[in-house]
Amino acid sequence: MDDHDLDLRTVTYSLFVELGRAPTASEVADSGDLTCAEVVSGWQRLHEQHALVLDPATAEIRMANPFSAVPTAYRVRADGRWWYANCAWDAFGVCAALHTDGRIETSCPDCGEALNIEVREQRPDDESLLFHCLVPAARWWDDIVFT
Amino acid sequence: MNLFRSEEHIERWLGGRAPGATITVNKLSELAHAWWSDRLPPEWQPHTRELNQSVLDRLGLTGEFWQLW
Repeated sequence: MDDHDLDLRTVTYSLFVELGRAPTASEVADSGDLTCAEVVSGWQRLHEQHALVLDPATAEIRMANPFSAVPTAYRVRADGRWWYANCAWDAFGVCAALHTDGRIETSCPDCGEALNIEVREQRPDDESLLFHCLVPAARWWDDIVFT
Repeated sequence: MNLFRSEEHIERWLGGRAPGATITVNKLSELAHAWWSDRLPPEWQPHTRELNQSVLDRLGLTGEFWQLW
C-alpha cells in the first residue's frame, strides 16, 4: 500500500467518523483534493488489500471495518452517535476504534431476545454472553460479508 | 460472528452444522480492542498477517481454527 492509498484511507475513515456514515467518492474527492475517478480507483486497491470493503454492485463503501455503511443487527451507541457494526467483533471494535465506552444493541440469533451490552473501560457489563465464530480464520476473507 | 445467550442457543442456531469456535464476551472485547484500537489515527499502517496472528496468539486463540493462513 503506497502513501497515496494510505492517505486516501485516512481521509475516508476520518470522514466516516465525522459524518457518522460512509462518505461518497465525491465527498472524499473534495476533502482529499482528488478526482472522483482517483478516489474510486484508490478504493478498489484498498478493497483488494482488505483495507475496506466495497459493494460490488455500486463500488461504494460497504465496510470500513469495524464500521458498517449499511444497517446491520449490531447497533452501537458511542461518542454521541449510533453506528452500525459488521458483526459482534466489530461492535466492540467501534468502541475500540473510537477509544470510548459504548452501548451495543443486538439480539440472540437463536431466540431473538434483545441483548443490550454496556461497554465500560473495555469490559462488557454482561459477562454471561458467548461469541461464536462459524468460519475458520483462514477463510474469513473468502466472503467477508458472510463471515 | 454473533453473540448468543448460551451454548444451548449456539447449538440450536447451528442446527446440525459443524460448530466454529466459541469464546466468552470478555475475551471478544479484549480481542476487539487489540485488533481495532489503532484504526483511526493517520499513522495507521496495514497489519501484516504475522502481526494479526500474534494478536490472536497473545489472547490464547490458538489452534487450527485461528490460523490466518
